[in-house]
Amino acid sequence: MDLRFTETQEILKKMARDFLTTECPKTLVRKLEQSREGHSPEIWKKMAELGWMGLIIPEEYGGMGYSFQDLVVLLEEIGRNILPGPLIATMTSTFPILQAGTEEQKKTLLPKIAQGELILTTALLESEGVFDASGISVRATPKGNDFLINGTKLFVEMAHIANSILCVTRTKDSGSGEKGITLFIVDAKTPGISCEVMPTTAADKLCEVRFKDVSVPRKNMLGKIDEGWPIVEMMLRKGAIAKCAESIGAIQTCVEMTVAYSKERVQYERPIGAFQALQHKMADMWTAMETSRYLVYEAAWMESEGLPCAKEASMAKAYVNEVYKDVSKWAVRLHGAIATSADHDIPLYYRRSKAADIAFGNTDFHREIVAQKIGLV
Amino acid sequence: MNLALTDEQKARKQEFYETCKELEKKRPPNFLGFETIYEDDRCWEYNLHCAKEFAKKGWLALGWPTEYGGKGDMMDRVLFAEARGYYGIPGVDIFGVQMLAPTLLQAASEEIKRKFLPPIARGEVMWCELWSEPNAGSDLASLSTTAIRKGEEYVINGQKTWNTGAHRADWGFGVFKTDPAARKHHNMTFILLDMKTPGITIRPIPYLDGHAPYCEVYFDDVHVPARNIVGQEHEGWAVVNLLAGFERSGINEIMAMIRGLEQLVRYCNETKRHGQPLAKNPLVRNRLAELACQLEAARALAYRVADLQNRNEMSLMDASAGKIFFSELGERFAFVATDILGPYGQVKTSRWAPLDGVWERMFHEHFITTVSMGTNEIQRNIIAWYGLGLPRIR
Repeated sequence: MDLRFTETQEILKKMARDFLTTECPKTLVRKLEQSREGHSPEIWKKMAELGWMGLIIPEEYGGMGYSFQDLVVLLEEIGRNILPGPLIATMTSTFPILQAGTEEQKKTLLPKIAQGELILTTALLESEGVFDASGISVRATPKGNDFLINGTKLFVEMAHIANSILCVTRTKDSGSGEKGITLFIVDAKTPGISCEVMPTTAADKLCEVRFKDVSVPRKNMLGKIDEGWPIVEMMLRKGAIAKCAESIGAIQTCVEMTVAYSKERVQYERPIGAFQALQHKMADMWTAMETSRYLVYEAAWMESEGLPCAKEASMAKAYVNEVYKDVSKWAVRLHGAIATSADHDIPLYYRRSKAADIAFGNTDFHREIVAQKIGLV
Repeated sequence: MNLALTDEQKARKQEFYETCKELEKKRPPNFLGFETIYEDDRCWEYNLHCAKEFAKKGWLALGWPTEYGGKGDMMDRVLFAEARGYYGIPGVDIFGVQMLAPTLLQAASEEIKRKFLPPIARGEVMWCELWSEPNAGSDLASLSTTAIRKGEEYVINGQKTWNTGAHRADWGFGVFKTDPAARKHHNMTFILLDMKTPGITIRPIPYLDGHAPYCEVYFDDVHVPARNIVGQEHEGWAVVNLLAGFERSGINEIMAMIRGLEQLVRYCNETKRHGQPLAKNPLVRNRLAELACQLEAARALAYRVADLQNRNEMSLMDASAGKIFFSELGERFAFVATDILGPYGQVKTSRWAPLDGVWERMFHEHFITTVSMGTNEIQRNIIAWYGLGLPRIR
């Protein structure tokens, strides 16, 4: 047992921190939030040069061949700086291709992703807003050598700038809902697709995507027909751990900024950090961060080793969801009025805590998985 | 990052678990967890029996240098604590084995080590802690019980309190004011003493449930040999801080809760309410799942602390955070479990009590972990002052 980062991971971490500190100041974060795109092609290009989109893509497909655990180290740094853009959507949409893609699909898509030439996102949720298969009703019906997709997807991250959309469709009605799910890689330029950005708490460009007789060639099917749900489960599991890693970085920033501010801000002739009412709250924030961190590392290590970890991944997500909201809330409270202003950096984190909570399954969704895994009938 | 155990560690872990599983079969019916060893004669006998069994295998000296009879490393100690915690097996004296022994190894003279370590490793001598006083709790350094040097002896006068198991212990370690004129923190000495010494009066104090796991101890001209000290004379505060650093990672308590959760899950699966298993109740599911997540987080942090200790590193912050988290998780767990049991959550061990009444007991026992070993409020100060570097106003 050794819970330290490897040398490679330390290098990756330092490189990412240096890069993001220089390239992604909060002024840019705000600017991107307010823009329609929410994306900086310049940073995207530089990140591609650093190999980030291809971090876990095997070298034979033009990637870096790093492990899932290494990805978690990078994501923690991305979370510290709350980098906006389609990086997370692209990375998490890459998992299904790596696992279920045909050789041809991998050869076509993965090098492009690694080089930053393909922005990818996944269209999962619909009007019910639930993370289980029962919520999927967007239809894909065979027509000759193609499938026609019809219906509306919601909360699709960065779909408005994506080149391809991984669309989770229903191809057959079934009792539990899990049979009859099929995934398609859809070119975002295909006629019949229309997209609208939804206004959200984190301004993170979640989109409504409407499919009207959208024709997709059969060769763009990912995995087998009607048997796509396990791929979605895998993506939710890996995505949950990935999102947790991002959240850990954000939580750490909230703690650090609050501690630093409390040492500077003077009231009653002393730094407010000298008051125990605040000290104990900050000790609690730190404790919550540290308990989250090692739970996430545990899940990430298991995932990286290929060990079954549905329980641990859900435990991590259900736990970190609550910690991120709570710690960022207290970060605002301890800063006082100043952090209720849009000009302050802390609210950027607080608003994102809600988005992080929902992405890849909210707390109650993951707690139900945990309930099953601990043996409740 | 690598959380895997080596093959040797896996084998030892299995041996720890198997031994504890066997010892569980011998436990008296009124044994309901660690604190009961001090309250009941049969439970104390069971504690001594387990200590002897562990001593035979050399497990009371895990991680010690071999010259003092040591065996294995710190990681073995963690795996052993895990097994004991899961099966709820006593026999490892928290004061002698877990606190005093590592302190002696770092701070005591060769003579003291040779004299006191072997009986601890053999499970022969049980210890208690003599720290708190009626007017010196969290502010321990303001203690007033004196040990005045007279030739080759100290003469002790005063009172200690909240001394868990003092009425059962053979020996005690404590801090006493040896130089009343000196300034705070440089006026006390860490002394080891035989609890049978004339002049010592031990009075058990009833805990809030009526049982008596702890005592107050009175000293009336108690003569102890001056050579039985640890560290420098008058510099006992340094030893106190060293010992406090040997916090348990909490893995023991966490594993006990993990097993408690397993038993509670089984109970919920087998118990019908409103015509269906209690386990089908969405509120029960959600609350137990929430606890399960927190338990896993506590366990992950305990391994972090153990991993650091195993490399002779120490994060005071992580140890304090772990202590706060697992002890307050114990409170939450006790509240949720007794809630789920409904009216049965208030029944003490009896034919009416589900799960031997263990949760009714936890409803009051959890204070032992939140209040002792430095209250959780003191732990928060440690994180704030020494970890986060926040200003300390005196």
